[in-house]
Amino acid sequence: IGRAGAMAAAAMVAAAGGGDFSDLREIKKQLLSVAERSRERGLQHSGKWAAELAFALEPLPLSELPPPPVLTEEDARDLDAYTLAKSYFDLKEYDRAAYFLQGCKSQKAYFLYMYSRYLSGEKKKDDETVDSLGPLEKGQVKNEALRELRVELSKKHKAQELDGFGLYLYGVVLRKLDLVKEAIDVFVEAAHVLPLHWGAWLELCNLITDKEMLKFLSLPDTWMKEFFLAHIYTELQLIEEALQKYQSLIDAGFSKSTYIISQIAVAYHNIRDIDKALSIFNELRKQDPYRIENMDTFSNLLYVRSMKPELSYLAHNLCEIDKYRVETCCVIGNYYSLRSQHEKAALYFQRALKLNPRYLGAWTLMGHEYMEMKNTSAAIQAYRHAIEVNKRDYRAWYGLGQTYEILKMPFYCLYYYRRAHQLRPNDSRMLVALGECYEKLNQLVEAKKCYWRAYAVGDVEKMALVKLAKLHEQLNESEQAAQCYIKYIQDIYSCGEVVEHLEVSTAFRYLAQYYFKCKLWDEASACAQKCCAFNDTREEGKALLRQILQLRSQGETSSTDVAAPFFLPASLSANNTPTRRVSPLNLSSVTP
Amino acid sequence: MASVHESLYFNPMLTNGVVHANVFGVRDWVTPHKMALLVLLSELGRAGAQLGLLERRRLNRLLLPLLQGPDMALSRLRKAIEECCPHLAGSVHIRLKLMAEGELKDMEQFFDDLSDSFSGTEPEVHKTSVVGLFLRHMILAYNKLSFSQVYKLYTALQQYFQKDEKKDGADENEMELTNPEELDGKMEKEELAGPLREEEIACSGPLSQKQAEYFLSQQASLLKNDETKALAPASLQKELNNLLKFNPDFAEAHYLSYLNSLRVQDVFSSTHSLLHYFDRLILTGAESKSNGDEGYGRSLRYAALNLAALHCRFGHYQQAELALQEAIRIAQESNDHVCLQHCLSWLYILEQKIFDSCVLLEHSVNKSLHFGLPYLASLGIQSLVQQRAFAGKAANKLMDALKDSDLLHWKHSLSELIDISIAQKTAIWRLYGRSTMALQQAQTLLSMNSLEAVNVGVQQNNTESFAVVLCHLAELHAEQGYFAAASEILKHLKERFPPNSQHAQLWMLFDQKIQFERAMNDGRYHVADSLVAGITALNSIEGVYRKAIVLKAQNQMSEAHRLLQKLLIHCQKIKNTEMVIRVLLCIAELYWRSSCHTIALPVLLQALALAREYSLQYLASETVLNLAFSQLILGIPEQALNILHMAIEPVLAHGAVLDKGCAMFLVAKCQVASAASYTPQKKIEALESAILNLNEAKTYFAKVDCKEQLRDVLYFQARLFHTLGRTQERNKCAMLFRQLHQELPAHGVPLINAFK
Repeated sequence: IGRAGAMAAAAMVAAAGGGDFSDLREIKKQLLSVAERSRERGLQHSGKWAAELAFALEPLPLSELPPPPVLTEEDARDLDAYTLAKSYFDLKEYDRAAYFLQGCKSQKAYFLYMYSRYLSGEKKKDDETVDSLGPLEKGQVKNEALRELRVELSKKHKAQELDGFGLYLYGVVLRKLDLVKEAIDVFVEAAHVLPLHWGAWLELCNLITDKEMLKFLSLPDTWMKEFFLAHIYTELQLIEEALQKYQSLIDAGFSKSTYIISQIAVAYHNIRDIDKALSIFNELRKQDPYRIENMDTFSNLLYVRSMKPELSYLAHNLCEIDKYRVETCCVIGNYYSLRSQHEKAALYFQRALKLNPRYLGAWTLMGHEYMEMKNTSAAIQAYRHAIEVNKRDYRAWYGLGQTYEILKMPFYCLYYYRRAHQLRPNDSRMLVALGECYEKLNQLVEAKKCYWRAYAVGDVEKMALVKLAKLHEQLNESEQAAQCYIKYIQDIYSCGEVVEHLEVSTAFRYLAQYYFKCKLWDEASACAQKCCAFNDTREEGKALLRQILQLRSQGETSSTDVAAPFFLPASLSANNTPTRRVSPLNLSSVTP
Repeated sequence: MASVHESLYFNPMLTNGVVHANVFGVRDWVTPHKMALLVLLSELGRAGAQLGLLERRRLNRLLLPLLQGPDMALSRLRKAIEECCPHLAGSVHIRLKLMAEGELKDMEQFFDDLSDSFSGTEPEVHKTSVVGLFLRHMILAYNKLSFSQVYKLYTALQQYFQKDEKKDGADENEMELTNPEELDGKMEKEELAGPLREEEIACSGPLSQKQAEYFLSQQASLLKNDETKALAPASLQKELNNLLKFNPDFAEAHYLSYLNSLRVQDVFSSTHSLLHYFDRLILTGAESKSNGDEGYGRSLRYAALNLAALHCRFGHYQQAELALQEAIRIAQESNDHVCLQHCLSWLYILEQKIFDSCVLLEHSVNKSLHFGLPYLASLGIQSLVQQRAFAGKAANKLMDALKDSDLLHWKHSLSELIDISIAQKTAIWRLYGRSTMALQQAQTLLSMNSLEAVNVGVQQNNTESFAVVLCHLAELHAEQGYFAAASEILKHLKERFPPNSQHAQLWMLFDQKIQFERAMNDGRYHVADSLVAGITALNSIEGVYRKAIVLKAQNQMSEAHRLLQKLLIHCQKIKNTEMVIRVLLCIAELYWRSSCHTIALPVLLQALALAREYSLQYLASETVLNLAFSQLILGIPEQALNILHMAIEPVLAHGAVLDKGCAMFLVAKCQVASAASYTPQKKIEALESAILNLNEAKTYFAKVDCKEQLRDVLYFQARLFHTLGRTQERNKCAMLFRQLHQELPAHGVPLINAFK
């Protein structure tokens, strides 16, 4: 009888199978019922997620609303204890709740019993951390309940008496005990038994570290899988795939879901498509003005674009909603940072860390602030902390590299940049930084490699080519230098950016000289004319034009029409698309 | 506003949002184990005069390691106390039992009573003694505990006690079995390194900062002085990871982890640990010095310098140079001459890998003396001496310089450098071919007491100098034919420098060289050939040389010649004079083996000139032997005898047994050859003396088991006896010759024409 819940869930899977979204009403029904069931078990986040998603769908008529869950004999027996315990649970009196739930047999009550024991352990652990016997004992503080919970749950698991929620809890316990492999298996099982429970999927996301692992999982074939895949692609930085998935979800009818919108915005942020991300976030704010989640990402974007008024508005707004949220602190920190009040910014990042010690972004941001304050040692510390929380935080590695570069230790910072580069092989910023270091160390071959790769993976700041060209210039490789400048100019113009690029004039000047030397008068004069458009090269351009005219009249070549269009060798004008996934550069024999 | 700004500066104690207790300067806190110690101390005070002198001394010896060491299980502690004084162990146990099974107030009472030991006109404990400090630390730490912490401590004590009770009941016998070796009651860390280790880590829990510091310094000094006694790399790393998990700010642990990674030649994790260490250090440096910048600027320089050292250690010379440049630049910018001197020394070491540069080194020595860095200065002097020795500078001047630097060492008690200096002398004497002197120096080092009187038990004996000296010793013994002794020494080396350690390559090379020589003596050329690969891996030049020798022995003359010519050119380029002479000798031998004595002569003369110039005496005598042989064959035995007189003395004094035998054999041959023109009476005398010389040669050859040479000597002797008409002796020699001849395969080389 105890497996009634599991059976019901299994039946629901069958109804929704195949990952198709043809029957949105059915999906809505499932979402509503799972939201209710999650709430009954105190799983607020999963409930919230399901409710949010359900809200995005068309409302159901009364006749189609899901019926209230059927109570079994056991449920009825445990009803009193459950009701009492649930109210204690909601008031965060976990031990008390667990006490009254002892001996309850129904799935719901049993889950709440175990879950309150787990939460009580976690809460005690957190309290203990502050009040331990010594600083070094801190790392030792453990959730004492975990072991017992694991033993009991594994017994039930063997007897196959756990429903989807129970499996989820078992998985959480295993993960907390660092038994990752077992935890993954259990979560996959949980997803099979109760695919509607978002919590299990989310846990799975945290445990999967690469694409290979994902391939070997056997996941239930339901529409929930699409959400999961989209989420994990974002986590694994497979942005293209993630965006595709989200787009198809929107097409299927979830266009109003704030969750999906926010995820898309985050995805655009991750590939640094700032404009798109900004517009999506603005849209999101319109739909859900009191939302605090993801607003830190939004503020990062505003920061990058230096949009002071918008950031200020956002900060004030969030502060009004809830000033003791990590995201709020982060937004305010960004705001102060943009106003160059770095001390205050650091203060707010510290506050964010106090609110949530595992909020890793704040460590990195704090490092940036200390960098701005020229407090390099503190910056190094902050970055190191960020790395400690998450070894794969490329921004912290990059920040460390920058710090040492500021301290004029180009060789020393190579190590850090290399780490960052390994973590994000196709991010041009690390490559350019690496190239600059190698250039400082006079290792020009390596530097050239870096710049070239930076260009190949799609240069964000568009500086790699100029730097490469200058390197070639230094090495007297005029042919290559000219080609690089040509590509650079092409890039700038194809972007259609009106922003005054400092190096454009340099590029034209060099090209003019180059063509002049090669006696390609037409091209040379075209470039020289371009030069005249810039202040710093105007005189030179004019002088060159005069020279060309002189030489031409002397030589009297075939044609004299100067108005030849800007010449580009055909081989170069083919716009090479940046490769997406690349392995890290092997920069030298030693890359520790 | 001011206060806000104060707090803005980074607070190192704030990690993960939780304020560390370190802020209050508490480096130690109360644990159940510490309480057991407190009980022990108070019982000790109570027992007072009742204790016997012997027991008291044993207890005192036990106390310090207990106070400094990591926490241990109660059963272990009791065992340790029992071994010193069973009576006291009993009373400690009873007191603990009363406290653990009683109430919270018993513990509170106990701590209240503790401070009494300081009061009174004649206190039991001095406030500033080791025990007194410990007591006061504990009392302070206890008083700082909050209500819930006190309760937690009490429950921890109960658990601590109960665990012991349970264990006691369950496996009394096992405890007996596992701990028999703790006879002297020393609870030092290395004693735990048995099979007990795993379990011990699990139950020992986190170390307090003091304990951790003690642990780190102990392991670090063991790593430096006697690696075999330190924890195995894997378990040390485990321990360190454990330590870092509890306190990630403990920078020194990262450094030890770097050293540990070096032990196993792990370039990745050692770089990682090193950089991590300096990232952490930068903070503490800035904190400890009020004038912030100086503190961490300094660590920046040394960070770069250490990185250079690391790359150098792993043979990434280019990278090392870049790092070094950086260190030099930063040091120059901040006018840190001391750091600059260190850089200069490293620069020399790096440049040495590429080309010789005396100038740098001389500069370094001068500057170091100027800045009062005796260590660097005399290290520089020693490097200079080494270089000059290779460059063939006058020996007396070198020895003088070494003597001067020795003065410096003794003055500053730089025991490490004294060792290096002696090892250096051993090597130089060996280079000059004075094996007796080398032997004497090697023995001096080995039988010398280390200056580090601080820990008498731990001698510095896994340094490079020891490895060098021991290797030389092994080779010297092997040369004299004491192969058992040599292999004994090598066995010792293997134990002391396990194959993965830094200096292991040295003994590996010497081991193979000795084996090679033996194989060559026995005529097992295929064995020697198989050893060549191993030698080449460790030292390519030596490997090529040995390959040529094998080829020569196998009569593949043209190939050997080709190889030797190549080697000669290479060695001349890198100015390895010793090898040049050896190669020249080898080439000469090839020539005379092909009966081209006239061509061999100029080669030999060239070798002789070189050997004389670089005062490589032994090689010079060997060249003379070769010359004499050529002269003998060319038909001027009188001349040969004349020059042999020059060489025979050093050969007999310093030479290897084999060389001695060859020399005596050659003398006999020359005597016989020159006797041809003598009067019959004189001729008989000459032949008699030749026979005596042959006897001597025979004993030498027998020592190193050179059967081929032995056979030749016997043949020669038999002929001589025959000439003298002493039939009986002749027959005896002939019989011995016959026996040997059947054992050995016949060679194409005619007997008389070979001298080696």
